[in-house]
Amino acid sequence: MAASPDVENRVEDASRTRSREVATQVLLAGSALLVLAVPFLGASPFFITLLTEALIFGIWAMSLDLLVGYTGLVSFGHAASFGFATYAAGIFAMNISADFFLATIVAILTAAAVAFLTGLVVTRLSGIAFAILTLCICQVLFQISVVWRSFTGGLDGLIGVPLPTLFGREVEPGEEFYLLTAATLIICYLLLRRVVESPFGKTLLAIRANEDRAAAIGIDVRRHKLVILILSWMTGGVAGSLFVFLKAGANPMTLYWIESGNILAITILGGIGTLFGPIVGAIGFIFIRDQVTTMYRAWQFSFGLAFVLAVLFMPSGIAGIAERIWRRLWPARSS
Amino acid sequence: MAGAFVVEGLHKSFGALHAVNDVSLDIEAGQVHALIGPNGAGKTTLFNCITGFLRPDAGRVLLNGNDVTHLPSHKLVKSGIVRTFQITQVFGELSARENVELAARSREGLNFDFFRKASACREAREDAEESLEVVGLIEKAHLRPEELGHGDKRVLEVAIGLALNPEVLLLDEPTAGMSRTETERIARLVRQIAERTSVLLVEHDTEVVLSISDQITVMTQGRVIAQGPPGQISQDPQVQDAYLGAVEVGED
Repeated sequence: MAASPDVENRVEDASRTRSREVATQVLLAGSALLVLAVPFLGASPFFITLLTEALIFGIWAMSLDLLVGYTGLVSFGHAASFGFATYAAGIFAMNISADFFLATIVAILTAAAVAFLTGLVVTRLSGIAFAILTLCICQVLFQISVVWRSFTGGLDGLIGVPLPTLFGREVEPGEEFYLLTAATLIICYLLLRRVVESPFGKTLLAIRANEDRAAAIGIDVRRHKLVILILSWMTGGVAGSLFVFLKAGANPMTLYWIESGNILAITILGGIGTLFGPIVGAIGFIFIRDQVTTMYRAWQFSFGLAFVLAVLFMPSGIAGIAERIWRRLWPARSS
Repeated sequence: MAGAFVVEGLHKSFGALHAVNDVSLDIEAGQVHALIGPNGAGKTTLFNCITGFLRPDAGRVLLNGNDVTHLPSHKLVKSGIVRTFQITQVFGELSARENVELAARSREGLNFDFFRKASACREAREDAEESLEVVGLIEKAHLRPEELGHGDKRVLEVAIGLALNPEVLLLDEPTAGMSRTETERIARLVRQIAERTSVLLVEHDTEVVLSISDQITVMTQGRVIAQGPPGQISQDPQVQDAYLGAVEVGED
């Protein structure tokens, strides 16, 4: 007698979960199509450029979500993954080849190498110590980019990065570059989705919950942290490569700690541990910043205030609220 | 599958405190060996030294004759030495089944598999179900730890340990905070799993210890004061003095 409602509940649970999963897939596919369709819906060039930047930030924020959301490693130096890659791709494009694939591979490999070196130190840590040390390392890279003028152009940064080419053809700024960015975002999302749902991805969850317990079931905690750090930076590197071509230049300020703070806020506001949320957070951030900066100067203040309120009242971010609504829309099916 | 497990002259000090002082254990394959002693006797420190969470200052740990003393925790697990924790430390946001599956995938060497779906690892799923079956949690496999009773949570720890296919399973106070019935359930379970793995357990409940152990080691202040089968230990005047008597007084 006691077992039967329990069993019923479970069956109901399963069917509800299944129909919601299907609905989620449809939603994701729809969003992907919408993102790809934007240029054909008569959007203004200004809007397209702004959205391009937002999607680049979306890739970058997803890469941080791997650390903060999935592994519980709050990095306060994630500007490094992005900023360093902008230089790598930019210098490569200016001196060797503007091929988008090659430049992006250079950016990814550079990011991976720096992540590996950083990881040798920071993977021993977690919590506050991890946050502070990543912040320090990022500031060191910022200083290098400022001081090493012959290579980085100092405070002026890189100027005159050429337009990227794809299969030997120049990618036009505007709609074409937007489509390249959108396609890259979708590919990154699908790949990372795979990773977080893989056995490896689940070990990250264990590490986030309790490192000792994770070690006690045979997980090599330091190695897993190192691998996810490298993967995260590689993804950040992809965003960096797109960004240097969008701006036709690189600037040391992309390595500055404020950028690390911004991307962390974007990721948390969007909803950590979801991959999708940070993209939404990035789009929101870029568009709101654009609106607010033209209205008044203290926009950082309003962003900070919004962040504090959001953390207080919606700790699971925009994605968390969306999920709650989503669950309401797809309630239990009683058949 | 059960392995022979030997600890030789293990030492661990924290400053002037000899938390573990020249402790030796010899566990034959398939035996249940209990470690008892008052609080602060060094039992958990010994566990931590054996399982790689602390570095012993001296001594050796041997599994089937192989020296595994300084292996890090995750490698010890691979070699067959698996532990549970005194305070339940299961992964709270995963269901009981997913908790055990995580361990099963780890044992199958899938920790670095990036492209398969975790939920599609069928072998791990079957292994996890088998472990849950053994401990009697299969009916509650879909529940999250917070929805399980305290006894079930402790049992889930054992299921996670079993899914790692251990040669030696170290249980740190498996009956801590349990009711009499739950304690009996764990006692039966320990006897049952001894068919597939040697067991070393830290335990406070003397009744349980005397009924399920093949061998007992008694520690006080970091030292072994007695070692032998239950019949011999319960008669040992030194043990009664140091430990058993004290517990009886405390319980009355």
